[in-house]
Amino acid sequence: MTNNHKNSNEKREYHVPYGSNAIRLSGPEWIAIAILCPALFFLAPVLWGYVEAFEPGPDYRLPYELGSDYWLYHRHCRKVCSKVESLVVGDSVIWGHYVSKDNTLASHLNKNIGRNEFANLGVDGFHPAALLGLLKYYGRDITGKNVIVQLNPLWMSSQKHDLQTEKEYRFNHPKLVPQFNPKIPCYKDSFSKRLFIAIKRHISFLSWTSHLRMTYYDNLDMPTWTLEHPYQCPFQAVMAGLPTADNLDLVENISWIEKGITPEDFAWVKLETSLQWSLFQQTVNLLRARDNNVFVLVGPFNEHMLKAKSYETYLGMKTEIESWLRQNNVAYYIPPPLPSEFYRDASHPIAEGYALLAKQLSENQSFRSRVIP
Amino acid sequence: MLFHTWPFALFFLIVYPIYLVLKNTRLRLPWLLASSYIFYAWFNPLYVVLIFYSSLVDYIVAARMEKSARRKTWLSVSIINNIGLLSFFKYGGFIVDNINSLLSALHIPYGVPEPGMLLPVGISFYVFQSMSYTIDFYRGNVERERSFIRYAAFVSLFPRLLAGPIERARNLLPQMHTTPRFSSQDITDGLSLFIAGLFKKIALADYLAVYVDKIYSSPEQFQSPALILATFLFAWQIYFDFSGYTDMARGVARIMGFRLMLNFNNPYLATSLGDFWARWHISLSSWFKDYVYIPLGGNRKGTFNTYRNIFLTMVISGFWHGAAWTFILWGAVHALGRFLTREMERTSLYRENVPKIVKQLFVFALVTFAWIFFRAETISDAWTIIARIFSSGWANPYCPVLALMLIFAVWLYEYAYESRIKWILELKIVRTGIVIAMILYLAIFAPSSEQGFIYLQF
Repeated sequence: MTNNHKNSNEKREYHVPYGSNAIRLSGPEWIAIAILCPALFFLAPVLWGYVEAFEPGPDYRLPYELGSDYWLYHRHCRKVCSKVESLVVGDSVIWGHYVSKDNTLASHLNKNIGRNEFANLGVDGFHPAALLGLLKYYGRDITGKNVIVQLNPLWMSSQKHDLQTEKEYRFNHPKLVPQFNPKIPCYKDSFSKRLFIAIKRHISFLSWTSHLRMTYYDNLDMPTWTLEHPYQCPFQAVMAGLPTADNLDLVENISWIEKGITPEDFAWVKLETSLQWSLFQQTVNLLRARDNNVFVLVGPFNEHMLKAKSYETYLGMKTEIESWLRQNNVAYYIPPPLPSEFYRDASHPIAEGYALLAKQLSENQSFRSRVIP
Repeated sequence: MLFHTWPFALFFLIVYPIYLVLKNTRLRLPWLLASSYIFYAWFNPLYVVLIFYSSLVDYIVAARMEKSARRKTWLSVSIINNIGLLSFFKYGGFIVDNINSLLSALHIPYGVPEPGMLLPVGISFYVFQSMSYTIDFYRGNVERERSFIRYAAFVSLFPRLLAGPIERARNLLPQMHTTPRFSSQDITDGLSLFIAGLFKKIALADYLAVYVDKIYSSPEQFQSPALILATFLFAWQIYFDFSGYTDMARGVARIMGFRLMLNFNNPYLATSLGDFWARWHISLSSWFKDYVYIPLGGNRKGTFNTYRNIFLTMVISGFWHGAAWTFILWGAVHALGRFLTREMERTSLYRENVPKIVKQLFVFALVTFAWIFFRAETISDAWTIIARIFSSGWANPYCPVLALMLIFAVWLYEYAYESRIKWILELKIVRTGIVIAMILYLAIFAPSSEQGFIYLQF
């Protein structure tokens, strides 16, 4: 490049038209937006909390269809933490998949002590990896409480349940599991999607928009929803209110034997390499770090469903779990197996099973001294 | 890496601060080039080899042209190389398919093997940009670029790498010679462009795509109202998609101190097909005008030759868009539309007595009709759609009213922008209010979209 050419370039002005619209903001205007928008983002979920009626009753559990509504879970946590001292957290066994909301473990514990002391914070479709994420990001209000955490051995019953298969497996609640570390072999979402999930967990506003989508737009984004409801006003849909938490269509009071399920061999993973167990340990540590009095309930697991060889391995694993809990001074209870006919499948009791489990738990010395006030 | 995805946000948050630190040093261009290659390699690392090769050949060609008496030969090398790259990667499958169809029709029991090459994203854009440099240098319109790094950065500049605008060397290369001027206005203008583009892409284009894709995936199942509305929505979808991409590209470039050319100028307010092409994908239409239409003779050799040149330019332009007969037909329909509106404009009755809005609606209808060929999967699908539009009966189209309302709002905005009430849109409160409304809409209602841009496939 010659000097003359270079100089002529330096002097040149580039008269490129700005654009084809008037949306051209100045610095002060952008500053105003930079203040106003975050303020609106912060205020919108808070104000929505006043607009949307939500008064969970004694046996309240999150509606089945809102199991992935973590913003509502957070709200539920906040409400119950201001009312009760003891919380029961865990997967669909705690939520009460095959029973009505007044037949869950928390509900029967309340009946046993004659007052509403236990809140059901179980979520259908959960597993230890998801539970850790849920409590870490959406259960921050759970501090200084009695927390009964359920460990379902089912999640260690195969490589697939333990999220260890190399082949992609679409498990429940991928938005709650660790996105980058530790690596979950069967989780294959794109880097971009994981990054968005990791960011979203820290921004309440984004969880709130998911809440709107799940609650009022049939779990669809608005464009897809308007395709299903082309002539409805999307803004009217949000006036419908929260769905009830009855989920009576899920209730089934028949045993696994009546259902035709047969005993089987489980390909248990080793505890020292189990991802779910490792994340469960982290959950216990997280809750304790938040000054909670943690009580672990191991089971109830349907041992009647295990074939002999599988049963032996299960017993060994149970001993290892107990050993870790004892070494770490964590209060726990491993209930004896319920009668076979009280199970609906490998881990879910039917209504009578929950009643018996609550009775066993209420009579446990450690539980009585550590949890029941 | 697409502008509306989180990886791009992360990429830019790393690249930009370092770029600011290096902007007054000799490392600015190497950093820009490295960033652009990383951006491109995100799709497929092998793509970088291709763009490097394309840049290197044209850089060497220009150097040889400067010293050689056989300038035309070297220009031919550049053109053959660039067209060869496009033919191999973009048109290979199409050419082989057609040869095989011909062989089959002639009952010759032989089939040419399919090349099986993937189309590298953005190749049509950077190849045209690089080729315009060698042609302009041959014509004496630009000086030779002596730094390969600068030239490679010009070809691969990441904001415009994937889908343009197809910049000319005389606009962009000089900007790379000087230290970028960063005024706060550049940054705020860049942000304004980016947010408008993001809204067009996510809130509008991706929304309309939901209905359009549903109807166009099986047109034989739908009646006239649904087909008409899907075609109407596609006209806006492609506009929002591509102009949204361009706005974001121009916004990112502006934030970095580069001013890319205007690529869309409210095309659906055009009053003739010629006017439409002066407003739609301006960087491509001006490229074809400068390097195809005018070299063919332009409008200098009588009416027949003018129409022949328009026809050839439009058909080649159609073929540039995609390796399929549907795109060629789309170009041909546009050529016929240009003849029609050109002749109508010559009559005083049409020119002076027909209201502007009627002309605009007429041109919009022509353009929308042509989009059928662009969007349809096959020519057979296109005929099915046209036949069913005119022959099938009434059935509820179940088209979201919200989508139509959003389109109407945008059309009204553009119409106002080109009218005497433009000043209302320029009021501080209106501009700021619109941006806040766009941000809130995006944040609350828009899907977390990672859909690609339509023009990336070209």
